[in-house]
Amino acid sequence: MSTRHILLALLAKGPSHGYDLKRRHDDHFPQARPLAYGQVYTTLQRLVRDGLAEVAGTDADGGPERTLYRLTADGSREATDWAGQVTPPAPFVTNEIFAKVVVAILTGGDPAAHLLAQRAAHMDRMRELTALKTAPSAELGTVLAADYALNHLDADLRWMTTTQARLTTLTAVTVEVDRA
Amino acid sequence: MRTDLRLAWLLVRGSDRQEWWRIALTAVGAMCATGLGLAAAALASVRGSRSSAFGHGLLDHPGERSGVIVALLLLLVPVLGFLGQCTRIGAVHRDRRAAALRLAGAEPGRVRRITALETGLACLLGSVLATAVAVPVLPAEWPRPSVPAWAGTVLVAAGVPVLGTAAGLLALRRVVASPLGWVRRNRPRSGRGVGPAFLGALLVVVAATVLAVASTSTGTAGSDDASGPLVVFAAVLAVGVGAVWLTGTFSGLTGRLLAARTGTPAVLIAAERLRDDPWAAARAHAAVLLVTVVGTGFVGVRQVLLAELEEMRRRHELGTDIAFYTTGVNLTAVAIGLALVIVLTALAVGAAESLATRRRGLAAQVAAGVPRPVLGRALLLETALPLAPAVLVAGLGGLAIGIGYARTGPDGSAGWSVPYAALLVPAGVYAACLLAAAASLPLLRRSVRPGQLRYA
Amino acid sequence: MSNRPVPLLVARDLVKAHGSTPALRGARLELAAGEIVAVTGASGSGKSTLLHCLAGIVRPDGGAVTYAGERVDALPERRLSELRRTDFGVVFQFGQLIPELTALDNVALPLMLAGTAREAAQERAAGWLERFGAGERPGLRPGELSGGQAQRVALARALVTGPRVVFADEPTGALDSLASEQVMTALVHTARETGAAVLVVTHDAQVAAYADREVRLQDGVTAGLEVCA
Repeated sequence: MSTRHILLALLAKGPSHGYDLKRRHDDHFPQARPLAYGQVYTTLQRLVRDGLAEVAGTDADGGPERTLYRLTADGSREATDWAGQVTPPAPFVTNEIFAKVVVAILTGGDPAAHLLAQRAAHMDRMRELTALKTAPSAELGTVLAADYALNHLDADLRWMTTTQARLTTLTAVTVEVDRA
Repeated sequence: MRTDLRLAWLLVRGSDRQEWWRIALTAVGAMCATGLGLAAAALASVRGSRSSAFGHGLLDHPGERSGVIVALLLLLVPVLGFLGQCTRIGAVHRDRRAAALRLAGAEPGRVRRITALETGLACLLGSVLATAVAVPVLPAEWPRPSVPAWAGTVLVAAGVPVLGTAAGLLALRRVVASPLGWVRRNRPRSGRGVGPAFLGALLVVVAATVLAVASTSTGTAGSDDASGPLVVFAAVLAVGVGAVWLTGTFSGLTGRLLAARTGTPAVLIAAERLRDDPWAAARAHAAVLLVTVVGTGFVGVRQVLLAELEEMRRRHELGTDIAFYTTGVNLTAVAIGLALVIVLTALAVGAAESLATRRRGLAAQVAAGVPRPVLGRALLLETALPLAPAVLVAGLGGLAIGIGYARTGPDGSAGWSVPYAALLVPAGVYAACLLAAAASLPLLRRSVRPGQLRYA
Repeated sequence: MSNRPVPLLVARDLVKAHGSTPALRGARLELAAGEIVAVTGASGSGKSTLLHCLAGIVRPDGGAVTYAGERVDALPERRLSELRRTDFGVVFQFGQLIPELTALDNVALPLMLAGTAREAAQERAAGWLERFGAGERPGLRPGELSGGQAQRVALARALVTGPRVVFADEPTGALDSLASEQVMTALVHTARETGAAVLVVTHDAQVAAYADREVRLQDGVTAGLEVCA
């Protein structure tokens, strides 16, 4: 997934300014990392270069001049194709926690202590997200985002719990592999 | 078949205490049934008059003998009720096990055979024990037993386990149908009424009685002799069935009315349970009510009879020793007392079974702060509430029989004298039933231990 | 840490065995008034046993449980029953509702046990059912309710007497994630409103995330992480 595809999808609703796109992005994906203006403009320029978007005009009602962008036929096809495609399920297993645990095992660190600390951090974040989604004023976007994150953190936690229980065997196996 | 037998044995061996209780009690019930059946069969095979050392000549003549046979067969009724209660011990657990067997791939026929073996073997054990005692006794008392006597013995000894097996099959007919049948939220409702198995068994008893009486009566001058006991039998059955129907209906009604109005937690719980399954109470109390009718009627009849006998003796009109009559009367009293004991045991077994089945829920109630005495009171009320009117009706019915006897007796001058002493019987039965139900209270104490929370 | 209020419920070095199997081997726990604490751990780590000891359902073999200055583990059974009826509320995974009673009567039962007249009890019970979103058909019996509805009725029953501590043992164990969310949200919001402390035993991190902090049990011992959030 890329900012490029998200902007394409947001543009599908109609011509917009870069500023509008940023605001709509932040509204729809409240728990995502906020988009930087700079990133929005560079991405839009690339879309124009690739023939997926085009400049629909400019307006400057009093303020600075603003460029209005809209999708080309190619762009709207690309947006639909992307949205309809099944996402490849975990094609590569890469994750920072996973990597750090493996490194800790390899370098003779304390993976158990690391997992414990990570677990505490995960639980803190899960508490935060739970409070967010159960607040009476929570909007649908927030609830969906929190659900998504909670389930992934929960999956991480379950992996960490299993790993903790497996650690002794895991260490033994890795040491053997290294020796071979 | 050998695999089935081995499986049945494995299942029994791995069972908890409840299962052993069921087997032991079923065997005892089967033993009683076989014993009564054997005695009746032996008496029924006797033709004409002969003299016996037993019972002051009570067994010497066909007329009296048919009375004794009726009494013996009537005793089968409470025994059957007792056996019925025994099959209910751990029923939910066994239903689940049968469903699990089906799920594991056992054909319906095999599950039926295994289950039938579980009940049948227990019955066989009881029947063998009773027969083992009876067979040496019979020739000792009776130098040359006839061929029909032996035939009857074999028939009864084999019939009891066969009937037990059949009853086991009947009880399981729903579960066997579906491997998933018992993964469910609701408890099984007991059917309306007294249950086809019990009614069927009663029919067998009635038929056997008619046959036995008819066969003994041959060889006597007047065939009128036979109709007397049969009429009494029919009257008792009618009052009993009426009282059962009344208990069922009344349980439901009391349950609904009380549940809507009461402010006491114990009464509320008891009432809602009665409303939920009124026929459970009716079935458990069926035999109690029959015994109440018989007992009350008997006390009334006995009072009149003894008075008459005394009168006749004073006038020297008695043909035989008065002991001949009083022995008969007293033996009947013993039989009724025995029936009452069997019935009360069945009631206690039923109460204990109901507790054992619900133990996890009860433990949760206690854990949530419901005081144990409240649950205990609810348990007693469940017996006390529906039983009160039913015992009253059964007592009045029995009283009516007593009064009727006094009216139709040879000495009509007795008039409308009411044998008030007979009213002690329903009162006593009621108190005894409450005691029997209370006997399960120690089990409540054990059932609600928090340890039970650990098992689903 | 220093401004933490005086704990309402304290467990010190609890030891408990089921037969020869040790369930607790020196577990400790503190629960402040109004605090929501999750007890987590693998199955068989002694979570439920810890809850049973704290709620006075089981007497520990060793150690002490103190509630509001009173030694719970030394109380006579009668007083324990009373405590569970008045100061504590209990929710299990299932089985705490009487199958023959209606939802309304199930909730009214604790009040009736405390001597409230039936009608007044039912009126208050109806209010609690309403509050937990289970008030539409109060005449239904537990067997006729869905798992989520039954648990909300159970919550109403646990909270109807205004307890100071609610003990919940896997309250969402048999529920799907949405029903589980409704039950936990209802429990946490009500506890916050009424100021009740909650001790929830669960193996589910998403349920534990409703609590203020987590206490982890490992082989009958409370492991680290007992830090206030």
